[in-house]
Amino acid sequence: MSRIGSKMIGWLGAFLLAIVLLLAFVGPYLVPYDASEQSGAPFQPPGKEHWLGTNDMGQDILAELVVGARTSLTVGIVAALLATLIGTVVGLVSGYSGGFLDAFFMRIVDICLTLPFLPLMIVIGVYIGPSLLTQVLVITLVMWAGKARKIRAQTLSFRTRGAVLAARSMGAGHFYILRKHIFPSILPLVIPQFVQAVNVSILMESSLSFLGMGDPLSKSWGSILFYANSRSAFLTEAWMWWVIPPGLCIVMTVLAFSLIGYYLEERVNPRLRAYQAPAAKRDRRLAQEKLAAVKPAAADALLDVQNLTVQYPKDGGTVRAVDAVSFALRKGEVLGLVGESGSGKSTIASAVMQLLKPPALVSQGAIYFAGSDLTQLSSEEVRRLRGNRIAWIPQAAMNALNPVMNVREQLAEALRSHQSMSKDEIAERIDEVLAQVGLASRWAAAFPHELSGGMRQRVVIAMALVNKPDLIIADEPTTGLDVMVQVEIIKLLKNLQRTLGLSMVFISHDLPVVLSLADRTLIMNQGKIVDQGNTLALAKTSTHPYTRRLIDSIPRLTPALEQRSLQGQGQR
Amino acid sequence: MGGSWFSSAFGKKCIQYVLVLAVALTINFALPRLAPGDPLEFFFGESTINELTPQQRQQVEHELGLDRSLWQQYADFMTGVFRFDLGSSIKYGKPVTEVLADRLPWTFLLVAPSLIVSAVIGIAIGAYAAWNRGKRRDLLFLTGMLTIESIPGFWIGMLLIAVFSVSLGWFPSFGAVPIAFTGGGMEYVLALLKHMTLPVITITLATIGGNFLLTRSSMLDTLGQDYVLMAEAKGAVKRSLIFNHALRNALLPVYTHITMSLGILVSGAVVVETVFSYPGVGRLLYESVIARDYPMMQGVFLIITLGVIAANLLADLTYPLFDPRARQRKQVEESP
Repeated sequence: MSRIGSKMIGWLGAFLLAIVLLLAFVGPYLVPYDASEQSGAPFQPPGKEHWLGTNDMGQDILAELVVGARTSLTVGIVAALLATLIGTVVGLVSGYSGGFLDAFFMRIVDICLTLPFLPLMIVIGVYIGPSLLTQVLVITLVMWAGKARKIRAQTLSFRTRGAVLAARSMGAGHFYILRKHIFPSILPLVIPQFVQAVNVSILMESSLSFLGMGDPLSKSWGSILFYANSRSAFLTEAWMWWVIPPGLCIVMTVLAFSLIGYYLEERVNPRLRAYQAPAAKRDRRLAQEKLAAVKPAAADALLDVQNLTVQYPKDGGTVRAVDAVSFALRKGEVLGLVGESGSGKSTIASAVMQLLKPPALVSQGAIYFAGSDLTQLSSEEVRRLRGNRIAWIPQAAMNALNPVMNVREQLAEALRSHQSMSKDEIAERIDEVLAQVGLASRWAAAFPHELSGGMRQRVVIAMALVNKPDLIIADEPTTGLDVMVQVEIIKLLKNLQRTLGLSMVFISHDLPVVLSLADRTLIMNQGKIVDQGNTLALAKTSTHPYTRRLIDSIPRLTPALEQRSLQGQGQR
Repeated sequence: MGGSWFSSAFGKKCIQYVLVLAVALTINFALPRLAPGDPLEFFFGESTINELTPQQRQQVEHELGLDRSLWQQYADFMTGVFRFDLGSSIKYGKPVTEVLADRLPWTFLLVAPSLIVSAVIGIAIGAYAAWNRGKRRDLLFLTGMLTIESIPGFWIGMLLIAVFSVSLGWFPSFGAVPIAFTGGGMEYVLALLKHMTLPVITITLATIGGNFLLTRSSMLDTLGQDYVLMAEAKGAVKRSLIFNHALRNALLPVYTHITMSLGILVSGAVVVETVFSYPGVGRLLYESVIARDYPMMQGVFLIITLGVIAANLLADLTYPLFDPRARQRKQVEESP
């Protein structure tokens, strides 16, 4: 949906640009008048002879616009080219070489970016004298620094890529690497930079010309407006055709370039594509015929997933990330979910939490939790369950905490979202839950950046526990942590499970960890469950080739030994 | 302690500002001397200089130090600046600093309300559009704001004058107060507000697009962050997701941008103040350019540079109030 939107924006920009180019290149053949000569009576309104009327000196306004188009586009494009070129060279050299040269250039860039550009342009323009060249020079001077900074940031990210390092280790020269490896990767980013520079410089040109700093010999849209303003266009009706058209031309041109630039930037910048608005409810509930395949939930199951299929569109077709998966979890049980990355195990977690990001959606099946199908609940009903009765321990806990809220605020929010408690009760519960995860209560006042990775993961676990949930979905809870910290966190989860009697779905690609924690284990591959059973039995006696391969690849002797060594490490 | 101050982020910034000031001063010093033509002309105006006899001329040059070495002149210029001696305006026949002091309050009167209105509306719509990313209303706001962003400020001003001053007669088209004003307190304030209205609308429209686009892209960034997903997973209500988690973090760069634009706006007001003949610093720059009043011009450039630096400093100093990561690090104790 957003794709289509940004394409529309791109096309709109291209359309506007086409009009402007037509004006600049075909215009001279259509308009029979010379813009600098008197060709009619003053203040003639638009009509047959003069399509857009005349100004106070009887000059044809359309002829002026055509000349103005050429001036504005020339100044805009030449200045943008120069600024992008200088910015790219400085950014490339600075980012690639690093060290002193980098520090030196970036200092200059910082200074240039801090200087007030409009007065600087005016002051310089006054001393050098107004001309097109002056305009191009001062606009370039103002714009190159911003470009240099952006290109440098990109260069830095490419400098350590494999191909570059390989080329360097094979003795390739710096110039060769810059030309052959870095520049081609930077190019798709340079183009939107250039397009955006054009619109800024056309705006600057018009402002400068409007202030009377334009070349007195060549008309631009800005200078037409300068004359209109200084020769009191407003005292007559003429402002309608004297002031509006040049302004519209500027707006159209600048908008054309900024729309195209926006489209190009969005295409190359993945950051801008990360978030999608939540899909409408009817999208989520798509494909109701799925219910036919579903039986009511098993009576003793806390979580009963039946025939769950999650799909998303790709290349015109659909891909099934999770394909007709069924499993159930009893109270107090730990279910292990093992598979390689991309096997669909984390997608199952998101589906159970009802946190699937569009365009992925549950296309078939049911997820019964305590008897009701989560896929059929309203979003408010789901919210009341989330973090309250079903809690989630995410992967990448490093970024799971809000950087501007302290630990106490974030835990308190989880409590207040589900129950009304007094301040004292909240404080008490927070102390209690922090103690459970092994953190002293003074850490409640800390901000996430003041905590180590392991401590952050403990806070995230505390957040999952704080409302005493019935079910915990732990989605690779040790990803990104040091090995020793991983061991501690696993040990903590194990203890918590035992003392609190937690029911848990434990997802991991780390088979030994799952073997040591889970009562039962599912093995997933390519969206399907390929093998399942009692964990110990599975490890010892499974004959499924995929399971065997996974188990054989464990560099340890037996799960039992693994378990003991884990505990041993933890106790130190 | 001293060494660490210079290498701290704030210390580095301060050094940068000192350098910016030095560059601005050097430009001020160098331009009249490097530009083609007679430097004396730049200081006193063409007509005055042409009336001088060669002896008088030599004497003036001596008094100004123009016969001394370039380095000597540079040193004199710098000490002059630090004694707030920027010379005399040719056009006004008063010290440059005095004229500036008269004009500065008027510029603030325009810039401050515009900035507030533009920030509030731009942030609100930007956050709303980001939350509805990809939907039709997002696209409408986005194209609308890109369009507003493409309109030159002076043209907005011209159209507003044409419609609201000339045709409808609702608002005055020039000045800050009526010439020879005689009314009392309340009337004075009312006249002031009437004169402010159109310029403030113009500056607001000219800056709102930037605030919108920055908020929208920053908000899109934070909405995709793990902590927002985590907040959703803990059952936080939508209002809290938007305001406490996404927007609160998204506003950090927006805050810096808006605070810093305080400084840039003083210069951005050049165009708008010119259109509305508003007696602020921006209009002063334009007037001194037209009158070739070089000392005045340099003074304005200098004061604007100072404004930009002050705004940057303000942003640096107040930022830690909103972002705990920028505060002085507490002692992080190891072991939980």
